[in-house]
Order: sequence, then C-alpha cells, then structure tokens
Amino acid sequence: MYYEKKTRTLANTICAPPPSPFFFESNAIVPQITVVVVSSIANGQTMSDEEHHFESKADAGASKTYPQQAGTIRKNGYIVIKGRPCKVVEVSTSKTGKHGHAKCHFVGIDIFTAKKLEDIVPSSHNCDVPHVNRTDYQLIDISEDGFVSLLTDNGNTKDDLRLPTDEALLTQIKDGFADGKDLVVSVMSAMGEEQISALKDIGPK
Amino acid sequence: MQGFQERGGGGGAPPDLAQLQSTMRAIELACTSIQMHMNPAEAEATILLLAQSHQPYQACKFILENSQVANARFQAAAAIKDAAIREWGFLSPDDKRNLISFCLCFTMQHANSPEGYVQVKVSSVAAQLLKRGWLDFTAVEKESFFYQVNQAISGIHGVDVQFAGINFLESLVSEFSPSTSTAMGLPREFHEQCRKSLERDHLKTFYCWARDAALSVTNRIIESNSAIPEVKACNAALRLMLQILNWDFLYKSSGAASSVFSGGVRQDNDSPKRSEVNLVQPGPAWREILVTSGHIGWLLSLYAALRHKFSCEGYWLDCPIAVSARKLIVQFCSLAGTIFPSDNVQMHEHHLLQLLSGIIAWIDPPDAVSRAIESGKSESEMLDGCRALLSIANITYPTVFDQLLKSTSEVVKNLMNNDSEEETWSWEARDILLDTWIALLVPVNRNSGNALLPPEGRSAAANLFALIVESELRAASASAFNDDVDSNYLQASISAMDERLSSYALIARAASDVTIPFLIEVFAKGFARITQGRGLVDHTECLEELYSLLLIIGHVIADEGEGETPLVPNAIQTQFSDILEAEKHPVIILCSSIIKFAEQSLNPEMRELVFSPRLMEAVIWFLARWSSTYLMSPEENADLNSSKVLVEFFGQHNQGKPVLDIIIHISLTALVSYPGEKDLQALTCNHLLHALVLRKHICVHLVQLDSWRDLANAFANDKNLLLLDTAHQRSLAQTLVRSASGLRNSESSNQYVRDLMGHMATYLVELLRKNNLKSIAQQPDIILSVSCLLERLRGVASASEPRTQKAINELGFAVMNPVLVLLKVYKDESAVVYLLLKFVVDWVDGQISYLEAHETAAVVNFCMNLLQLYSSHNIGKISLSLSSSLLNEAKTDKYKDLRALLQLLSNLCSKDLVDFSSDSNETQGTNISQVVYFGLLIITPLITLDLLKYPKLCHDYFSLLSHLLEVYPETVAQLNTDAFSNVLGTLDFGLHHQDIDVVDNCLRALRALASYHYIETRGGKTGLGSHAAGLKDQGGNLQEGILSRFLRSLLQLLLFEDYSPDLVSSAADALLPLLLCEQGLYQRLGNELIERQPNETLKSRLANALHGLTSANQLMSTLERKNYQIFRKNLTSFLIEVRGFLRTK
Repeated sequence: MYYEKKTRTLANTICAPPPSPFFFESNAIVPQITVVVVSSIANGQTMSDEEHHFESKADAGASKTYPQQAGTIRKNGYIVIKGRPCKVVEVSTSKTGKHGHAKCHFVGIDIFTAKKLEDIVPSSHNCDVPHVNRTDYQLIDISEDGFVSLLTDNGNTKDDLRLPTDEALLTQIKDGFADGKDLVVSVMSAMGEEQISALKDIGPK
Repeated sequence: MQGFQERGGGGGAPPDLAQLQSTMRAIELACTSIQMHMNPAEAEATILLLAQSHQPYQACKFILENSQVANARFQAAAAIKDAAIREWGFLSPDDKRNLISFCLCFTMQHANSPEGYVQVKVSSVAAQLLKRGWLDFTAVEKESFFYQVNQAISGIHGVDVQFAGINFLESLVSEFSPSTSTAMGLPREFHEQCRKSLERDHLKTFYCWARDAALSVTNRIIESNSAIPEVKACNAALRLMLQILNWDFLYKSSGAASSVFSGGVRQDNDSPKRSEVNLVQPGPAWREILVTSGHIGWLLSLYAALRHKFSCEGYWLDCPIAVSARKLIVQFCSLAGTIFPSDNVQMHEHHLLQLLSGIIAWIDPPDAVSRAIESGKSESEMLDGCRALLSIANITYPTVFDQLLKSTSEVVKNLMNNDSEEETWSWEARDILLDTWIALLVPVNRNSGNALLPPEGRSAAANLFALIVESELRAASASAFNDDVDSNYLQASISAMDERLSSYALIARAASDVTIPFLIEVFAKGFARITQGRGLVDHTECLEELYSLLLIIGHVIADEGEGETPLVPNAIQTQFSDILEAEKHPVIILCSSIIKFAEQSLNPEMRELVFSPRLMEAVIWFLARWSSTYLMSPEENADLNSSKVLVEFFGQHNQGKPVLDIIIHISLTALVSYPGEKDLQALTCNHLLHALVLRKHICVHLVQLDSWRDLANAFANDKNLLLLDTAHQRSLAQTLVRSASGLRNSESSNQYVRDLMGHMATYLVELLRKNNLKSIAQQPDIILSVSCLLERLRGVASASEPRTQKAINELGFAVMNPVLVLLKVYKDESAVVYLLLKFVVDWVDGQISYLEAHETAAVVNFCMNLLQLYSSHNIGKISLSLSSSLLNEAKTDKYKDLRALLQLLSNLCSKDLVDFSSDSNETQGTNISQVVYFGLLIITPLITLDLLKYPKLCHDYFSLLSHLLEVYPETVAQLNTDAFSNVLGTLDFGLHHQDIDVVDNCLRALRALASYHYIETRGGKTGLGSHAAGLKDQGGNLQEGILSRFLRSLLQLLLFEDYSPDLVSSAADALLPLLLCEQGLYQRLGNELIERQPNETLKSRLANALHGLTSANQLMSTLERKNYQIFRKNLTSFLIEVRGFLRTK
C-alpha cells in the first residue's frame, strides 16, 4: 500500500522533528488540486493540465464538465443529468439489493430551464459536473427587441444576451431599470449557454 | 328574506298558527335545498336567520313537534341552543326551566323515532342548557330534572325511553368534561366549577343508574337467543360507564392552578412513563360501587354470556355491545390508586385475578386463538386481551404478583410463537405484548442488581428470547431479497426497530445465564455457515441473518450511552459474578468471537466475499456500541466490582490494546475500501471513531498505535479520503485532532496538529496566489477541494482544546485573509459561502477566550470585514430563477448563512464573559459590546420577518438580542432612533411568538431594558432618554414611549392570551420594572380594566386582585432580588385569581 512509506513521516512528526511537507505535494497523489492552468483568455475558457484529458480535443479544450465521484456530490452542488446542467436539490442513497453497493439518487433542477431531472448513479462511479461560471456586469440598457446591453470589466459592451421571457422576472428587471437604479446583473454560464441569474441593486444612479 | 323575530315572539302574545307554519315551511325548504345542493348559500342564510332571531323558541318548538323533515327538526334544535345560550341572561327562570324540560320530554316522547341524530341533538341541547344554568338552578330544580331522567333510565317507560335517558346522561357528562365541552362565552372558571360540582354530587349516581339499567336488562339478554331491543340500552349503559371511568378525576390537586393558563388541554399528557395506559384513579369513594359490590363479576359474566351468543343471529365478536363490554373490562384493569385501601393488598390482587380469569379465555390457549384468527375470526378480542394484560402489567410488580406473572409470561410466550407471519394484527399484538414485558421487567432491573424475577418467569423469558431470535432470523432471511425499503420511512422504521430490539434485550437479560450461551451458539453457527459456503453459493440470506444477529447481540450485552459512559448492564454484571476465569466467561467468549469475525474483514478476499457494505455497517455499529462499554473501561481498577473479570479482560493491560488496534484497522478499511458507501462512512466517523477519542485514557493508547498513524497519514495524503462525504471529513479531522489529548505534552500536541493540517492551510494560501484565481475557482474540481479543506479546517477548529489551542490559533490566522478572498470569489456559490462562515464561527468559538488583546482586535476586525463583505454581496440582491424550488433553496441558504453570522456574534460576545488571555485585566482592549452592536446593525437589514419564521434563526436572533440587552443596555440606549425602533420592533414580534424560549428571551430583554431605565432615572441620569419618553412623529402625533408600549402589550398578553405557565415568572420579572417605570399608565390601565367588568362582584374581585398584586407580601418599589421573588409570587396568585373570569370559553 502506498501509504505505508509515509508512516514513518508521521510517526516522526508525532514525536518531534518537523517533516517535509507532504500534503498535496505530489501530483501523482492528488491530481485534481495541482491544476496548472493553460488559459486561453481570448475565449474566456480554461484548460487544465494533463490530468484532465476527459474532454475530446475536438471541443477546443473547453472543460465544460468535470468528472466527480457520485458519492461526493452534495445537495446545492451541480451535476449533468441527461446532458443538462442541473443544480442538485435532493440526494438520497440506497442500496442495490440489501447487501449490494450504494447508489445515489439525484434530483436536479436544470439551471437554465428550471425543469426537474432525476438520475441514479452507483455512488462509487463518476458523474459529470458542469463548470458553472458567474460574471457580474453593470446593466446599461434594455433594448426594445428583448436584448440587454451590459458593461464588461474591460469597458466593452456585451449585447448578445436576451432578457428572461418569464413575465415576472422581466418586470423585476424592467421596473428596477425604469426606477433609475444602478443595477448589476449576474450572468450564469455553463456548457455553452448563458442566462441572467440574479439582479442586484447597488444604489440609485 | 323574511325575518323570524316578529313571528316567534316568546314573551308576547302567542303567534298565530299560520305564521308558525310559514316559518316551518321556510326552514324545511331551506333544509331540503341544502340537501339537494340548490342555492345552499341562501338556504344557510335562512337557517342562520332563525338561530339569530329574537326568542325563536315558539317557532322552533313548533317545527320540532310538527315538521316531517328530520333536518328541519335538527336545525330547530340547534337554533334553540344558539338563541338560548345567547339570550340566557334575559330569560326568566321559568323560561329556562321550560326549555330544558321541553327538550328532555321531547327526547323521551320521541324515543322510538327512527332519526336518531335528531334525538341525540335535542338531548345534547338539553345537556348544554342544563350546564348553562347549572350554577343558577337550586338543588331542588336539578333534582326534578334528574328525577325524570332516572325514571326513564330505570326502564319503566320501556327500552327506547331508557336508551334516550342514558343518551342524555352521556351528553351531559361529555358537556361537563372541560376538554369536550361546548363554547358558551363564559369564563373558564365557570366550566371548572361545573366540572367539580358534577364530579362531587352526581357522577357516582349516574354510574349507579347506568349499572342498574344494564343489570335490569342483563337477564333478558342472556336468556334470549337473538338480538332484542334491550341490547341497545345495555350497550348505551356500558358506554356511559366507560365514559365515566374515563373522567379526569380530580385526584391531582395541582390541576387547579395550571388549568388557568391554557384551559381545556390536560397538562399531564407528556409525562413519559404513562405510555398508552391512563390509570383510572377515582378515589376511595368509589370503592363500594366498583370493587366490593361484585360489579366486575357481573360484567365478566355478561361478556362470557355474550361470547356464547356469537353464533346467534344479531351477535358477533365485533357487535357494539361486545366491543363496549370489552372496553369496559380493559378499563377496569387500569383501576388503581386510593380506591384500594393501602392496608389491604389482597383486595387489589383479588380484583386483578378476577379480571384476569375473565380475560384469559380471550387469549388462551394462544395457539388455538391465533389459528382461529388466521382462519378468519376477528382479532379484536385477542388484541383487547393483550391490552388488558398491558394495563395490568403497568400497575403491578412481578414480585408482588408472582402467579400473575407466571400466567402472563406463558401466554406471551405462546403468542410470540405464532407471531412470525407478517400480518398487521400479529405485529400489533406483538408490540402490545412487548410493552407488557417491558412494564413487567423494567422495575425488576431498576431494583438494584439482584434479579427478583421468579424462576418460572426466568425460564419463560429464556424460552421466549430463543423464540424471538429464531423468528427474527427467519424474518431476516426471508426479507434478504426484498429491495423495496422505502427510504422515506427508513428513519422511522429504524427507530421502531431500535425500540423493539431494546425490549428484546430486556427479556434476554432477565435470563442471561441461558440466553448468552445461546447467542454464542447461534453466532458460531452463522459464522460457520458463511465461511463454509464462501464463493460457491449466494449467501445473502446468511448475511442478513448475521446482520440481525449482530444488532440483537449489541443490544443485549451493552446499553446505549446517550452521551454518558455506559456501564456493563446490571443483569450481566450480577449474573456471572461467580465465573473467575476469563476463558469461561460467556460474555467474553461472545465478544471475542464477534471481534474475531470482524477482523476477517481486513482480509481483501474475505471482504469481497462476505463483508457487504450492509454487514460492515452492523460490524462497525457493534464495535462502537461494544467498545464504549467494555473497551478499557474506567471501572477496571475498582476492586469490588462484581464484573471484574469481564472489564479486566478488555482492559488496558490485557487484551485492550490489541483489540483497539484491530478496531482502528477495521475503521480504516471501512473508510478506504468502501468508496461511496456513505452510511458506512458515517457510522465509522461519527459513531465509532468519534466515541473512541472522547475518552482520554483510550487516546493515550491510540496515538501510540501504528494503525492510528496510518489513519492520520491516510487523512493527510490519501486521495481516497478526499472522496469521503465532506461532513465525514470534518468529523474525521475533529477526531484526529482530539486524539492529541493522548500525547505527552502540549508541545507535541501542537506539533501533531501542525503536521496534520499545516499543508492544507498552505494549499489555500497558494491557491490564492494564482493570478487566474477568478476563473479557475469556479471549476468543479477546485470547488470540491476547497470545500473539503474548509470542512477539514472546520473540524479542526471545533476540536479546540487548551492543549492544541496554539496550533489551531496559528492555523486560523494563516487562513484569515484567504477566507475573505474566497468569500469574494465564491459569493455566488452558496455552499462554499456557508462553509466559510461556519469555519469562522467554529474557529472563533474555540479561540476567542484565549486571544490576547492585539489578537482580539485583529479577529474582531476580521469578523467585521467578513460581515460587511457578506452584507455587501447580499443586500438588495434578487435571485432570478424560474424554479420555485431553487428560489426556496436560496431562501434556506440565506437563513443558514444568517444563522451562522448570528452565532459568530454570540461567540464574540462570550469574550466578555470568559477570558483566559494573559492581559485580560487591562482595559484598553476592544469594546466587544460596540462591535457586536455594529455587527447586529449590519445583519439586521438582511433578516426579514419571513426569515424569522425559521425557528432556529428566530431562536438564535432572540437569544443574542436578549443577551445584548441584558449585558449592555447602555449601548442600546445610545442607538439612533431608527436602529432602536428596529431592534425593539423585533422584540415586540418575539413577545407574541409561539416558542416559549423566544418569548422568554424577549421577556428577559424587556426586564433588562426597563430595570436599566428605572435604576438610571432614579440615580438622576437619563436612562433610555427620549426612547422612553415618547416622541412626536412626522405627523405631529405623540407616539408612546417604548416602555409604556411594552407595559400595555405585556399586560394584554398576561391577562387575555394563551401562554405556558412556565413563562409567568419571567413575565413577572419583566413586569415589575415596567410597572415601576410607568406607574401612571399602570393605574390608568387598571382602572379601565375594572370599568370593563360586567358586574359588581367581578369589579371588586379585580380591584382587590390588582391591589394585592402591588401591595401583598410587603412589595417595595425597588429592584432587589427579594422584591422580584415577592412579585413573582404576587403575579402568580393574581393570575390564578383573575384569569378564570377574564378569559372566556
């Protein structure tokens, strides 16, 4: 077993001299954490080092999803169910047969469409977890044709985002904007889709 | 719509027939149209009009007597009642009497009417009116009513009238019992007086009448071979008797005081000991009637006669009369208390034996009975028999009723035998019988040590236990392939199972000399079977059997500690005290064989074959339960202990260390080799390891074990352990740090913690150095590892002990900045935000009292930054999601965050109370109170009234608030008006909360506020200043000062609303300073209240009570401790005096 050779290290540490750092030091042991990011800023997407070779190359290196053991996915986390990025609202575990292995039952809500999706995965298997990104922009304008105009960090504008179609959400944004409040919108993106997810009032104009 | 009032005039000239008839027709029409669903609203209005009209009695009587529509008669009766209760004060004594006797006569005259519900309604109207006038009528008047009823019940007017009479008494008794009485708009005191009066003067008479009525028809029932009308009357009489025995007899003298506060609800419902069985304790006056007159003999013979008739037409096992008779018999089994003279034990014994002899036929011979039930017979009789046994068991001790026990145990044993098939009735019977056994055995086990169970009982218990194990195992193997465990009910079924297993354990321990060897044998068999057939056959059944067996054995040999160190169970300790060699001690043999079995799980091949996750759960559970009792028990040095051999064997100097080593190896295996098995991991982390490190002498050995070092190493390095559920990682981190208490000194302990955790902190710091942090932070793998680290850090923080404080302190300071950066980066990742906050909360909680002044300043500064950062991210933020469940989740997240922030503030507060820092005496330290107020002001805007609906948040918020007001009222006084009214607004909200603790906190806060103001103003200072004086708002209206406002609302609460009596003393503490501050207002309020009373008696009673409140027992106008105590007493007696007539029902 590989941890046998470490025994001595800790055995020593308990008694006295300081050990060499061993936590997350070796790539071989904890691959997920020692991520060397090769970023391609142009498209705002990242690609990690050799450990993350699960996405096909054809996808221009965009790590849209990451594998993660089903047992570690918790409520409030994200998961891909039936190809859709979901927020997990319920996790329960059960066994396949009384003396079988555990499996996880996930109930997720599609973060873009709000549809409910369910999945059952053996808890030692891997699931896909979407890379969900959120960016804040200041709201500059709402156009007649249902698009918004947003101010990016580097001073450019982003004009390709639609307003929500739901009446209630729409009025929340429009009313706030009409009141002349300074609004910041939070845009959520995952797996190639994006949507306005939250709205924050940072004071009157 | 026509009005009825001018038509139905009762006092004036008699209305003419035509009018009465048209009223009747209108009502009939309304009733039919309601039935046909035609325009129900209008019909209801018509009927309501009748009930609300002035003196509609004539019309109602007319309808009752003449209408052919039963519903119309029903509505007329209801109208009489409504109107009479409303107008009672204006009716002349004659009218009142006439109304009652009209109703009574009506029920008697129409006793044979087919529409029973109308008769029942009319007789309940009579009962209600009689109760309404109960205190006005003279004894003679009442007697004349009851004479009529008695005549009817004695049966001289025929069976139907007899039935009607009994029925009337039934309504009367239920009307007089406070929990079932009808609302009359009268003070509670009235209901209470009626109840007492009925119990004192009439209840026994009623019982005798019912008994005589039943007696008078008994012979005819027994003689006839088919159903006869007398059965109906007899059944009603039995029901009435049962109802009277269910009466809440006033043997509890304390009942009077407490019933004032929340009337109608019995206060003793939650007493844990009286599980299902309510004792019937009517007192010695009933002895003659119930016990010595041969009453029970008659009842039993009646039922015996009925049993013979079940084959006849009109009778069957569940026919109403049989059911009532059985219920009454069961009720008699719970007869107890002073009705039996204390110097004559035989009488009670005789009573029970007599009952038992009657009941025994229902359940004996058990096998025949259960066969009959299987073939279609109704099970209710058998279940009633079991219930009766339970009732008897509840009031007797086996030592006293030797022979009783013998017979019950036989019966129980045989019944359990037939119990294996899964049918509802048998489960129910089993549960009742198990309860019976517990009731019998619990006193035995309590009576220190020596088992007093007679030998027959013991052998019965041993046989019974063998049967139980057999049938449990059979059930286990039968269910091995069932996969339909509904996870929703899992928790409930586990706790039910737990309960059942602990009752099995009680039975097993009653005869442990037989049952322990028996368990050894069974376990060995299972073990052998599983090793024989390895790999060849599917042995799921075997696994399931072993699983159940482990659970049973665990329950038998060890108790649940419930937070304390459990001792070796008494029965086991005493039973084997004569065995001196460890190798022959049955318990040691049993434990050793199970540990040997568990050890097999270390072998990968065996693990693959035998140790399924579920079986492993049982193993871990067993080890946890066993080790907390037996492993290195602290008792081992006590010489005189009777179980010395037992505890010594697994002690520190004997087998303790090797076994501990095995256990740690097994736990590591469970964590590493069962990926994704959350339940197993939870048991291992939270149950087994967590319990081990709680005991210091075990820690001493733990840290020397190689296996423990392996575990620590794996924790720091093994990626498998990073895949554990994050909560389990937290628990594991906590456990590992706790074990440092076993190290030699604090230096090595600190070093140990540094080695364990140092690199995790470094990792966090380094993560933040990455310049593309913002983009990589959102990657799922980074989120996962950050969450794991935070959970681990949190686990470490919550394991703070003086010994390891230094290392944990350094750890916290090292990650302070990262925490703030992460909070910014992950502001939209609610799960991470929560972890960050919880880490800070736990760390501050563990560290705050040790911090030196400069450190405190740094920590306070850090916390304020954290609060402001959190607030700036969240205030004014709206989540735009289509999904309502996601919106709800967001709300829950917010609640959890806020709760954590409140906890953080409370933890900061504690610095002022407990401070171990070296410079605690210096005064230039940070002013905690201002910091905490500032914090509170930051987060108060985030707390909405909606969020306060979360009970825990509400609770935390108010306990913090009351703490602040109690400790630093002067800081509150300095708040500006808006902040102040915001804080106090929530206080007002909390005062009317349902949760007692919340109200209590608010009352404490009020007391602090008012007494601060009082003392300050007496000392010539301003106190609360303008806050107390009242303000002019923008419209120029004078707003009351806050103290006056609270005086008003507190008095309102105390006098008119429902609350728990537990609150009275804290309410008194708040009321006293409020009264002293606002004496003028108090006088005014008192006078208003007196003016509002309807009559002179009540006015003077109230005035006296108010006077007594402020002047009894030499109450003075100071706020000393003694004065508070006097005022508490005064307030309690004041409330008892006045709430009875101020509150109405």
